[in-house]
Amino acid sequence: MSMLKVQGVSHRFGGLQAVDEAGFEVERGEIVGLIGPNGAGKTTMFNLISGALAVQKGAITFKDEDITRLRPDQISRRGLARTFQTSKLFNGLTAFENIRLGLIYGNPERRFRYEEAEREVNQMMARMGILNDRNRPVRDLSLASRRYLEIARALATNAEMLLLDESMAGLTPKELEQAMQQITRLRDQGLTIFMIEHVMEAIMGVCDRIIVFHFGQKIAEGTPGEIAVDPTVRSVYLGEES
Amino acid sequence: MLISTILSEEKPALVAIPLTIVALGVAPSIVPDSIAISLITVLMYAILTLSWTMFSGPTGYISLATAGLFGVGVYLSAILRDHLPIEVVVLIGGLAAFLVALAIGLLTLKLKGVYFILFTFGVAALIRSSVQWIETRISGTVGRHVAGATNETVYLLLLILFSVTLIASFLLRHSGPGLALQGIGQNQEAAEHIGINVTRVKVVTFALSSALMGMTGAVMATRFRYIDPNVAFNPLISFLPVVMAILGGISKLYGPLLGSVILVALQEWLITEYPYVYLLLFGLTLVVVVVWLPGGLVELTQKGYFRAKVRWIKLRMWITRLRRVRQANRE
Repeated sequence: MSMLKVQGVSHRFGGLQAVDEAGFEVERGEIVGLIGPNGAGKTTMFNLISGALAVQKGAITFKDEDITRLRPDQISRRGLARTFQTSKLFNGLTAFENIRLGLIYGNPERRFRYEEAEREVNQMMARMGILNDRNRPVRDLSLASRRYLEIARALATNAEMLLLDESMAGLTPKELEQAMQQITRLRDQGLTIFMIEHVMEAIMGVCDRIIVFHFGQKIAEGTPGEIAVDPTVRSVYLGEES
Repeated sequence: MLISTILSEEKPALVAIPLTIVALGVAPSIVPDSIAISLITVLMYAILTLSWTMFSGPTGYISLATAGLFGVGVYLSAILRDHLPIEVVVLIGGLAAFLVALAIGLLTLKLKGVYFILFTFGVAALIRSSVQWIETRISGTVGRHVAGATNETVYLLLLILFSVTLIASFLLRHSGPGLALQGIGQNQEAAEHIGINVTRVKVVTFALSSALMGMTGAVMATRFRYIDPNVAFNPLISFLPVVMAILGGISKLYGPLLGSVILVALQEWLITEYPYVYLLLFGLTLVVVVVWLPGGLVELTQKGYFRAKVRWIKLRMWITRLRRVRQANRE
């Protein structure tokens, strides 16, 4: 069953066609990468899917439900969560409170008792390996911890699918390795992952399938092996004559 | 969730809140009459400041609409006072302010920072001018006389409103919506994307806190006796709660309370002792606070507490060291 389906979606910022008739699908349980040069419209695509930007043309369905016109909070409550390119955390709150907010508002039908919420949040932090940062204010966390915290907060909203926008940018090689394992583990636990990434090593290492954007259009799609040898992709990235 | 959090984290508040209410309840029969009358002003500003802080504190959306919402209550009270019992008048004043705030909230959804401040200031001015226009053109009056109520009645009603505001502020600080408001203040976009209906949380909190302001206005009208748009919509009523909240510090529940008590006391003292330079001294005090105490008096008390704690720990370490030395000497 396809989890996310994007059909003929376009978005224009004044004179700039940021996303142009984009169409693709993400299957349940897949890790799909979205790559492309700067300005290709990747983050705009994420903003359209998550409801941060209004879709001007086309349709987006999530779990067979039309979410094209829904608000970000409604989309999030349906199980589609995201992170941001520059992490957007609640900096004045502790790591614990950040996740607790996601838990409370991402699951409005469940009324958590305090102990129950605490257990769930701890579980979420352990799952992302940041339990040590539990009571620290977010501004004191390391870059890697901030990234994991943002993912943990997204997971707490009872997410079935994650949109990760450059979650691995700026990590050290060792951290990158761990992050890749972490993402694979999340998939094994049943999540569907759609990620924008510039770190090729990461993309090639974890993705089942890769979608390539250029000037707002999908120019290629395939397994990492196929994409690596795709002439169009090579010409876009390396300027080779195809 | 709420009850167990409060029981585990907020024991002092569970004692302090009832104690404050009881103390204010018995105060008028103990203190001299002049102070009892000042207490009415204290309560009025305490309610306005606490209710202002409910919304503006965690979100950082500085609202200057307080005078408009308060004035709506004042005017409704002036119009309805002769026909209805005062309790009903107060409730209607609150409802009217709630509806006005709902409209303001829905209009200002997309505004942030300085635009929100200017808009709310403009709304207060707009309400004032509209009332003025209606009164002179249609009702044919400049001001209105309001049938007074006894000081006891005014005090009792304000005390009830104060208790409601204090308890509501406390509960809000420990509930999901309270945390959500903080999240919205710190990163609205992130708040939206984790499932918070940002519009609803903001507008509902703003409207509910505004209802308290309208009710306060409705009570105060019976004390003003004579009202006109300048009294009802006095811009100081928008500014002072902001100043009081900042002076006291918005990070703790008692901050706004402390700020309103101190500023009202300061104001009353300066007016009687130095009527000619009162505004000058008042302004000077505010400047001093903003420059040297940006976190408000709460910061001062917390620093004091922290220092005392550090000294206590040092003292204990010193004593243990002394003991060890003695023991070593003996051996």
